[in-house]
Amino acid sequence: MVEKEVIQLRGFHNTYDENGNPDGFEFCVRTRYYKGLWLSQFRVGDVVVDGEVFPKNTVIWNFYGIDYTPEEMYDRMDIYWQVNDIATVKIKKKGGLAQGYHDVEVNFGWVCNYNSEPEKEYDGSGLGNAVGMFGGTHKRRMLLVR
Amino acid sequence: MSEAMKEVKKGAPKRGVSVYSYSQLLGYCMTLEDCFKDIYDTGATCFELLTSHVENYPNPSPAWVDKYWRLCEKYKLQPAEMGHWAETHLHRGPRLTDDEILEQLIRDFKLANLLGFTTLRTKITCINEFCDPEPGWEKYIERALPYAEKYNVRMCTEVHRPTTLTMRVIDEYLEFIERTGTKYFGFNIDFGTFQNKPIPNLPDGKFAERDRRYIEEGYYSKPEDILRVLPYTYACHAKFNYMDENFEEQTIPYKEVLDIMINNGWSGFLLSEYEGPKRDDFSYLSDQLRRQHIMLNRILGY
Repeated sequence: MVEKEVIQLRGFHNTYDENGNPDGFEFCVRTRYYKGLWLSQFRVGDVVVDGEVFPKNTVIWNFYGIDYTPEEMYDRMDIYWQVNDIATVKIKKKGGLAQGYHDVEVNFGWVCNYNSEPEKEYDGSGLGNAVGMFGGTHKRRMLLVR
Repeated sequence: MSEAMKEVKKGAPKRGVSVYSYSQLLGYCMTLEDCFKDIYDTGATCFELLTSHVENYPNPSPAWVDKYWRLCEKYKLQPAEMGHWAETHLHRGPRLTDDEILEQLIRDFKLANLLGFTTLRTKITCINEFCDPEPGWEKYIERALPYAEKYNVRMCTEVHRPTTLTMRVIDEYLEFIERTGTKYFGFNIDFGTFQNKPIPNLPDGKFAERDRRYIEEGYYSKPEDILRVLPYTYACHAKFNYMDENFEEQTIPYKEVLDIMINNGWSGFLLSEYEGPKRDDFSYLSDQLRRQHIMLNRILGY
């Protein structure tokens, strides 16, 4: 299942190192766009949780079980992010997040091949030419248990 | 009426639905079968699928392909058009080479052929709001023509609002078709290009503002403008924004356009594409689709 929202409640939890200590957290997203995307069309920005900024270059995106840095995604014109499939966003943070509610924000967009120049950035966000139409910032208040 | 005009046999467009109409619901709360079941109720005989609707595109499993054909048979629906994209910016730096673009086009031709589609909505990369194509498009499209013939698919460039049928870009495509003499590249005319009234009851915002602006600034085609592209038009998106309770579309002069097309012998695929408000509300969407197909049924007589 997927939820209607971009940020999915299912999949939001801390991650743990080999000793069982929290070393970060992860959550899942979908695009809500009507078509899938080649990974090289995808553009990512920062993740912000409760006001704390996790810069885009420290965030890992996982598609179909494989981790990618933003830099690695740029060159994957062979991986298709199927419409309605989710990606997992992974963030390192010593101690993880505390149990309870968190304001989670994720920024992303994509390059699409119509109605504008494919590589033109209109807002300087680095999130591709589709941001003007579909928005690039997504927020949700989410409850974390573990 | 001249003798030549009298000889034109009336056309019989094939009434269909684009699964795009369900794109805010498909995969979220509807399956492909749910869409087909709803399409069957409209009396449509054919459909459009986008490549994204093909499970595990571009490599669907044989099990999915089998299931797809079973659904076509069960709901008596003929594959009409597959919407795909001629992507040209899939890596850093300059655009893809013609070889790379061609490789993707051939991949999609094979897929369309496997799934029974004879028409493609080929989205050529554009560089502005009016969908002027990125220069150089004719080089890779021309190289793709023999493969389109081999796999029996017609690439159709979409003429979409605010592009009108009298713009320079249409001449550019017509020149290409006439120069090459091809039957494997043509047009998909989106009926939104004929929209000459604003969408009623649209919430205030940038979409409503743009909707009004296009009309005020004259960015719409006249029904008779379709004649110049009609011989090369293999499919149309029967775009609609609001069907009223009298089964009339309130923003697009459907009867005028369709009468011209039928009287000039057009028998291509006419594929419903709902793009009005509340697309994420199945009951509203399905009611709108049914209303539109009552209108089309009354105009076409079937």
